[in-house]
Amino acid sequence: MSGDQQHGGGREELEDRLTGPIDGVLHLLDRQLIDRDGELLGKVDDVELTPLYLLAGGQHGADDRLAITGVLTGPAAILDRFGGRLGRILVERWAQLRLSEPNRKRPWRIDIDDIDRLDSALHLSVRRDGVLRRDRDAHRLGRLTGLDVLDPAGERIGRVLDARFEPDGAGHLVMCSLIVGHGRPGSLLGYDRRAEQGPWLVRVVVRWMHRHSVIVAAEDADIDWGDGTVRLRSRPTERPTHPFDQ
Amino acid sequence: MKKAFAVALGILTAIGGFVDIGDMVTNAQVGARFGLSLAWAVLAGVLGICVFAEMSGRVAAISGRATFDLVRERLGPRLGLLNLAASMLITFLTFVAEIGGVALALQLVASVHLLLIVPLVGLLVWLVLWRAKFSVIENAFGLLGLALAVFAVATWKLGPDWSSLMHQAATVDKPGDEEWSTYAYYAVALFGAAMTPYEVFFFSSGGVEERWGPKDLGTMRANVFIGFPLGGLLSLAIAAAAWLVLGPLDIRVDTLGQVGLPVAAALGKVGLAVAIVGFVAAPFGAACETGLSVGYSVGQYFGAQWGKYVRPPEAAVFHGVLLLVSLLATAFLMTAVDPILVTEVSVVFSAVALPLTYFPILVVANDPDYMGEHVNGRFANAFGTLFLAAVAVAALAAIPLMIWTRIGQ
Repeated sequence: MSGDQQHGGGREELEDRLTGPIDGVLHLLDRQLIDRDGELLGKVDDVELTPLYLLAGGQHGADDRLAITGVLTGPAAILDRFGGRLGRILVERWAQLRLSEPNRKRPWRIDIDDIDRLDSALHLSVRRDGVLRRDRDAHRLGRLTGLDVLDPAGERIGRVLDARFEPDGAGHLVMCSLIVGHGRPGSLLGYDRRAEQGPWLVRVVVRWMHRHSVIVAAEDADIDWGDGTVRLRSRPTERPTHPFDQ
Repeated sequence: MKKAFAVALGILTAIGGFVDIGDMVTNAQVGARFGLSLAWAVLAGVLGICVFAEMSGRVAAISGRATFDLVRERLGPRLGLLNLAASMLITFLTFVAEIGGVALALQLVASVHLLLIVPLVGLLVWLVLWRAKFSVIENAFGLLGLALAVFAVATWKLGPDWSSLMHQAATVDKPGDEEWSTYAYYAVALFGAAMTPYEVFFFSSGGVEERWGPKDLGTMRANVFIGFPLGGLLSLAIAAAAWLVLGPLDIRVDTLGQVGLPVAAALGKVGLAVAIVGFVAAPFGAACETGLSVGYSVGQYFGAQWGKYVRPPEAAVFHGVLLLVSLLATAFLMTAVDPILVTEVSVVFSAVALPLTYFPILVVANDPDYMGEHVNGRFANAFGTLFLAAVAVAALAAIPLMIWTRIGQ
């Protein structure tokens, strides 16, 4: 259990979301980082994704499912999320502020092993002093969301709006599906997850705007990080919970 | 007994805390020109702030997240940053107006030039934010702000024709010599003055820092549903007193002295002295709250340590922001800009900025992932949706009306 309980207070423990399926953008990105003493140390500015075969030390192609291996924080991570050209320029400028510093474009990261639990914030199992590392660069959730998604015929059907992760039993949170549609990542606002979430007016409008959104299984999606596209092996049919459409 | 005392203190400070320079000036201006014919806009604003504050207070108590945490979580970093910039610009304007208001009130007593008082007030506000056991000061200024109740006494002492006042408040009409466009403009201004966004930033951040939990919901609701409406009643008393004394003389309110004139007319020097205590205390408390709100919100967006109880070494960014806004606000006022004008502009822009933070809070208050069983009920959502429409209309109408009426001329 996290140490911030020592501050007392009447707040009940919220459910730990790391033990079940989560939506990366909805539940993890932009959450507050809190250390074991309850001190604040930043936001989840991005999420680090690593293919499972690298974790196992195996060869490419063995198991290329993506797992969450850490969270990224600090200017190099958040500036990149401003997206596209603007994001690249901002990161470039950030690096130029201090050319003598190595790997300045590489964001600070916190390893998944140092993470205790996720509720309305992400709680660390360690103290904040000196917890940030800058030891490697990997794929990022913030770059996956927003990528163009192409169907098998090469036609664009939308963008990656969110990615769903599930615990795999071996202690990893593994990406199992992508939510694809039009608009901004996160703009579903959670209304795809429950039938009855209010208020009625907002639910109806959000669902109408996302009436073309679909869920794609992760093994059906071929992510080309260099090219910035996701190519699907089959045409998706499954939709997020949309009782409104039915 | 201790609990009852805490609830009573919370309600009393909420009354004093509700009325700030924006409410005082706007209500006096409207009262002098329109009497109580715009009372419905004050009531709408009070009901709106109750709905908004109750939702964000509940979210703070259950999920432990304050306003700009949620803005960023729901809108993402880019839209969230735009939102932060817009909301902080307006909160900063309000901060400037409050410091200017304290300075104007002190000028009524000291009769030295305003620009000699401004730096002193700026410094005092910053010292309070830097050093203070803030809760003590918050309570002290909230209670001293209750001195504004002298406006209610003045209204009663002036012996108005109550039935004609009530008739004015109950019917949608205006004095014949005013335009409908200015009437609409002042409706938006009153709505913005009552529903200033910083009140919610401050309220929810305070809730997180005081570690409210589900068992504090009752106290929180008592503060909101009793304190704010009583504060609204104070606002209406200012408007009524202004109508009774300034209305017949056709005086338009351009200075803080004119706001206090009805009290002087009804109760003489002693009444005016009490009113001036309120004029100093209410904006001073609000200045501290707006200043802190800027620091809170910036901290919440970037995830940096924030809070009125954390010492500067643990929260360098937060205290850096507080120092910076105090300096900037003082510098802004030293350009000899009229604080009353800043106040008028700030309440209108408050109406513009409202939907930016209202919408994310409304969404999160409905999300069981944050709220568990404490999500909005039918009732909260009916009012929540109604006021979503109201704040959207006010936001869209505010700037065109301001240009059309030339700031209510």
